[in-house]
Amino acid sequence: MKLNQYTVLGLLLAFGVSSCTKNFESYNTNSSSLSNAQTIAILPTAFGPLEQAIYADYQTAQNLNADGFAGFFMSPTPFKAAYDLNYFLIDGWDRNGFVDQYNQVMAPVSKIAATGVRTSEPAVWAVALILQVEAMDRVTDRFGPIPYSKAGTSVTAIAYDSQQQVYNEFFAQLDTAVANLSAYVSAHPGDTTQLGVNDLVYQGRYDKWWKYANSLRLRLAMRIVKADAATAQAQATKALSDPGGVLTTPADDAKFAQSAGRNNDIWLVASDYGDCRMNAALTSYMIGFKDPRLPVYASPATDPVAAAAATGGYEGIRIGINIASKDDYEGYSSPNTTTTFPRTAPQYLMSSAEVWFLKAEAALRGWSADNVQTDYETGINTSFQQWGVASGSYISDGSSTQTNYTDPKNAANNGPALSTITIKWDPAATQEAQLERIITQKWIAIYPDGQEAWADYRRTGYPRLFPVVNNNSGGTISTTTQIRRLDYPQSEYTTNAAAVNSAVSTLLGGPDAGGTRLWWDVAGKGNF
Amino acid sequence: MRLLPFRALQRSVQVLAVLLLVHTAYAQSDTAIKKAPPLISGTITNQNGEPLTQVTVSVKGTQSKALSDDKGAFQIAAGSNATLEFTHIGYAALDTSVTGTAMSIVMRQSQGELTEVVVTALGIRRSQPSLTYATQQISGDQLTNVKTDNMMNALNGKVAGLTVSPSASGVGGSAKVTLRGNRSANGNNQPLYVIDGIPISNANNANGQPGGTYGGTPDGGDGISNLNPDDIASISVLEGASAAALYGSQAQNGVILITTKKGRPGVTQINVSSSIFADQIAYKPKFQNSFGETTPTSVDSWGAAISGGHDNVNEFFRTGMNFTNSISLSGGSEKAQTYFSYANTDATGVQPTNKLFRNNLNLHETARMLKDKLTVDGNVSYITQKINNSPALGIYENPLTGLYLFPRGRDILPYKRHYLNADSTGFARQNWPINDGNLYQQNPWWILNEEPSVATRNRVLFNASLRYEIAPWLNIQARGNIDYINDNYEQDLHSGTLPIYNNNGNGNMTIKQQTTEQKYGDVIANFNIPIKNDDFKVSGLVGTSILDTKVTGNYITGDLSTPDFFTEGNIIASLAGLTSITTSPANQDVPPGGAATPFPVHNQIQSVFGELDLKYKEWLYLNGTGRNDWSSNLSFTPNESFFYPSAGLSVVLSELLKLPQAIDFAKVRGSFAQVGNTVPAYLTNIQNTQNAAGQLVFNTADAFRTLKPEKTNSWEIGTEWRFLNNRLDFTATLYKSNTRNQYFPIAPVTASLFSTGYVNAGNIQNKGIEVVVSYDVIRDRHFTWNTSLNGALNRNKIIDVDSKDSINTFVLTANGNNAYESHITKGGQYGDIYGYTLVRNASGQIVFNGDGSTANPYKPQQSSTYNLLGNPNPLYQLGWRNDFSIYKFAVSFLIDGKFGGKVLSLTQGIMDQYGVSQATGDARLKGGVAVNGVDATGKSVTVVTPQAWYEAIGGRNGISGEYMYSATVVRLREASIAYSLPIPPGFFKQIKLSLVGRNLAYFSKKAPFDPELTMSTGNGLSGVDVFNEPATRNFGFSLNASF
Repeated sequence: MKLNQYTVLGLLLAFGVSSCTKNFESYNTNSSSLSNAQTIAILPTAFGPLEQAIYADYQTAQNLNADGFAGFFMSPTPFKAAYDLNYFLIDGWDRNGFVDQYNQVMAPVSKIAATGVRTSEPAVWAVALILQVEAMDRVTDRFGPIPYSKAGTSVTAIAYDSQQQVYNEFFAQLDTAVANLSAYVSAHPGDTTQLGVNDLVYQGRYDKWWKYANSLRLRLAMRIVKADAATAQAQATKALSDPGGVLTTPADDAKFAQSAGRNNDIWLVASDYGDCRMNAALTSYMIGFKDPRLPVYASPATDPVAAAAATGGYEGIRIGINIASKDDYEGYSSPNTTTTFPRTAPQYLMSSAEVWFLKAEAALRGWSADNVQTDYETGINTSFQQWGVASGSYISDGSSTQTNYTDPKNAANNGPALSTITIKWDPAATQEAQLERIITQKWIAIYPDGQEAWADYRRTGYPRLFPVVNNNSGGTISTTTQIRRLDYPQSEYTTNAAAVNSAVSTLLGGPDAGGTRLWWDVAGKGNF
Repeated sequence: MRLLPFRALQRSVQVLAVLLLVHTAYAQSDTAIKKAPPLISGTITNQNGEPLTQVTVSVKGTQSKALSDDKGAFQIAAGSNATLEFTHIGYAALDTSVTGTAMSIVMRQSQGELTEVVVTALGIRRSQPSLTYATQQISGDQLTNVKTDNMMNALNGKVAGLTVSPSASGVGGSAKVTLRGNRSANGNNQPLYVIDGIPISNANNANGQPGGTYGGTPDGGDGISNLNPDDIASISVLEGASAAALYGSQAQNGVILITTKKGRPGVTQINVSSSIFADQIAYKPKFQNSFGETTPTSVDSWGAAISGGHDNVNEFFRTGMNFTNSISLSGGSEKAQTYFSYANTDATGVQPTNKLFRNNLNLHETARMLKDKLTVDGNVSYITQKINNSPALGIYENPLTGLYLFPRGRDILPYKRHYLNADSTGFARQNWPINDGNLYQQNPWWILNEEPSVATRNRVLFNASLRYEIAPWLNIQARGNIDYINDNYEQDLHSGTLPIYNNNGNGNMTIKQQTTEQKYGDVIANFNIPIKNDDFKVSGLVGTSILDTKVTGNYITGDLSTPDFFTEGNIIASLAGLTSITTSPANQDVPPGGAATPFPVHNQIQSVFGELDLKYKEWLYLNGTGRNDWSSNLSFTPNESFFYPSAGLSVVLSELLKLPQAIDFAKVRGSFAQVGNTVPAYLTNIQNTQNAAGQLVFNTADAFRTLKPEKTNSWEIGTEWRFLNNRLDFTATLYKSNTRNQYFPIAPVTASLFSTGYVNAGNIQNKGIEVVVSYDVIRDRHFTWNTSLNGALNRNKIIDVDSKDSINTFVLTANGNNAYESHITKGGQYGDIYGYTLVRNASGQIVFNGDGSTANPYKPQQSSTYNLLGNPNPLYQLGWRNDFSIYKFAVSFLIDGKFGGKVLSLTQGIMDQYGVSQATGDARLKGGVAVNGVDATGKSVTVVTPQAWYEAIGGRNGISGEYMYSATVVRLREASIAYSLPIPPGFFKQIKLSLVGRNLAYFSKKAPFDPELTMSTGNGLSGVDVFNEPATRNFGFSLNASF
């Protein structure tokens, strides 16, 4: 019996101790996920989502703040008594404009880098870099200094870069992208196989990416003209003289197609959610200018009161007004989600029209030998072409100006016209008036990209926009100079506290508030 | 032998000896002493009419004793005015005077004494004195007396330290069960369920649990609700980690041990039970009837005065019915016993179209072979269940939003009768006048009839065990089970459903299929080392086990091509759910609010464990266990293998010391245990995936390969006393547990370029007291009264979240633009509710915007950040149960109370915003809302207009701090009256009729809903009501017959 006892116990222990854990790693490997080799094999398919991620959480990241601040849109929905559109900044919304671009663009780009593509397929890497610059430019222009050059180096604390450093990094990355693309295009002209149809912007056409990279450089260069004029001019000249060229016709436009279940964001917020309507600023200019693009941009008001009062049926909503109930303003003019922004409409990252206006401004500043008027008028015509509208005598209209805005439901929201600028080019006008004319037309042309339009407004002061009716910022944002930035997300203060506090005290140049100007938004400095 | 309670055994042996002597004495005295007292005979049965064998019958004041035989018959000599005492393990002792010479005695099971033999971890039976930790026992009767469609709800109020929160999801819904508080931020907080020693799966159906206040997919029941309560002999609740240590990882939240019924040798019995219950909603929201809709097209009721409103809610809810029928047959010989049962439950919920249909089939066989050395036991259960239209919770696709917010003064009846415009196509098919882009209300009857859902489950549970006695001191057993659960869920949204739920207007379909396969096996050697010195006993076990869980399935959702043609092939591929096809929302490994673990999931845990028990004389018991687990979920780390011990000590004072006569039993005990827990699958092995469009999706979580298992350290000390001839029973336990090394998905610094990181951190502490007192107030032959009180107090504290990474908050439920969040915050408590509060000045006055004019009325301001509003967990709980038996009647009632805690009603807030609630009507009738505030200029504000006030504070994203209510609730949980028909012995052994009720009355309830109900049985969403179905009141009738 003794033997039996030890045999049994021994067997048990042997069974236990030698427990067979050699399959554990295979159990803990998800068979519905990809192996490393599979990841590399389908790498190009990651680019569509990367392009689309630039508009991630569009409603909260851009539509309910930048698009409103730019005078394009206003929401009829009283989400809360106080929110971004009346200058009470909601962290839960604004944070998306920060976090998403790191998580959905920079993080995947770092994973793309980790596959070794930087050396194995430099042109693919160039596209990733361009997308990262496009995405992160939107972030730095919302918030100011951001963690950029040191991103990905730690999980607990990452220092911020000054906005100047960030812009310099952008330019350097565009240098790499342009070098890689030009090398590939000269070696394999016309080849689109690397990204192919996975690229929802250019279907793998690197010549177009090259143009886009140059155009992006031009946009960034113009942005910093007040803060660092020398770099601005140097980068603009570099962009305009690069053999790859810039976007010139709507066929060059950088816009991503919708894929599978993704919906056009304007359609989503305006038609599906009913949360987005036209801003009185844009309608007052376009009605005043008798702009033929208005029916393409917007739909007539459906609210009987608004429709009866509106000129031509279009009635926008002024920013920051009191809204008791969504019913009150939901029937004002909506973005045109029937023909212009249906569910499947592509979304623009950058248009050739914008580039013509950038070129016009560069010429105005004497950075190029272009004729300013030609660039300006080409910009307008390219925009009409982009939207498929005949421009008629639009560019020769020298008398129409912005109209007054009257809210048929509440006179407290009325706003007299702020601008007397006309459309027709006037070579005799002052440089300042010429800039206002360029930026005002650029503003109409780049609709609905409120992010870029808000940046132009902050940099140049144009177009002249109605101030908010209610300002709930508690004095941190001026109603007259309007909002200059968004607050850093609370999550930075909880997860990256030392870095963000140091950025606010040493890099931002003011309190972390909506009234603080960014580096390129130099207070008290004229445009010339 | 060691498995028998020693004192009982000893007593039996003594009694047997005495009896032999007595018998001998009588045999002699028949002739010798003529004056002997007359022989009294009789039969002893339990409440169910089953004969009780081995009952000790004694004549008070004498040495005269007898035992009942296997038919319950006894004979004893006693004078006509003598008092007989009947005692039996597990039954209340009974004193009765002699009546006649043929007595029929009914003995009642006792709460206190049922615990003499306790089923502990791995199904091991132990004597009560030897236990070093707290356990509580529930008899099968207590589950079946007042039936519920989820039997865990029947434990509510009956066990100290156990909290049951039923899900507000109609018939067949899940229940959230926690023992001694919540301890894990991300893991499961529910106990392990074990049947006959072997763990089973408590998997949710394919839908899982709602993840946020939006609601969406409804609950479809958990694993434990599938079982037939009539098959259960008893339940042991092992509250602490000490008790559960042998089960390892899964048992850190305690264990619910279920012992099923078996056949018994020599007794053939058929039981039939049948019950009918009616369910009604226990309360209704309060509406105003003085003001109508704002405008004819408005969704709000801020309009002109009306006279009287319609009771639209009455048009909706119905009386639910529950019919449960079950039959069981049991019997067998000394060598083999059989138990067979079948039950069916057919229930309808209070929301029309909500139905449950369940069949349970169970066969349990036990046999002894090889000269009784080998015991073979097998049990197979087959369960089918179908739940139609579980009520939705939350904002989306919930009929209650449309019902409650319907403009006052309007009659909803036309929309009930005519919810479908059959001659229309597309979105116009739904007949509903409300166009609400905020909550996306729909016609309630449209949702019921045109968005039907069905959740079906087929489950096979097979248990088997072999036990071989190698020597009197050594046996070896091998056991295993397979729990195979197949779930299907389908919801069909017909054409006419709002565009937010189907973009193209042709309808939308969701199909989820999930198969859970859990296999367990163990081999255990039990030993009892023979030692010469009788004072010492050394026993124990060594064993090894393997637990393997696989979940596979798929999940497809999308809009349809041909309208209302509900088949997978008709889902437009490009409109099918994108991310969802490869992810499971239902898997139990899904961290609440975190990323779903993709199908398939495969976990395996292998273990070796051992236990050593030392006993000295009858008063000292020392116990130690150790277990080592190997977890596949921790592969790729150096921490795949982890060990944890437990130790306990019990001193029986009543054996050690000479105590006063009134004390029958006294014991003190203490124990310490550590339990480890693994992490979810795949966290240590980050892989990329692709979406439905075939696009690569990078997994940007941090591939932490340093993850460690979670560890709970727990201490408990306790004492148990019995007084006054075992009539008074008292148990108290003090405990403290700390759960550390929890895995947290944290949001690292955004610029780290990791979207999620996993860290081991945290220290969540639970401390508490549990007390149980039971007293047999009256023990008379015709009248007994037992009263018992259980109380528990738990204090939860978050000592640390992740301070080393400067993270002090973990969000259990994110807001999703509804003003409710549930947090774990350093210094706070588990599940703290966060929301917006009113902006006040330094002296506490509300600061108003506006100037008080009609155009710009005073409006309160919302805080810019989320603030702590309260914690939903009760501070303490009490349950008071009384059982009476009066002749053939048995009466019992249970009152329980949960005291303290605060809960949030977003329902009330949203009703206020829309102007439909009574509060908004009363305020308008009074001409304003009285406030103590100031405006921006510092001018005092005392009255504000109701609309401005309620539209600002109310709503889904309003100032939710104004909608917090005390969670204290005291209720008449259960009441029953049973009558056993006086039937002559013969074909029927017993027929019992009962009138029973549950949740019959609230003695105190301050919130506008029942705070006990939960939106989710997961870790989040506790203490919030977002258009949840009201709690129900149930009453009914049941019949039990055995023959």
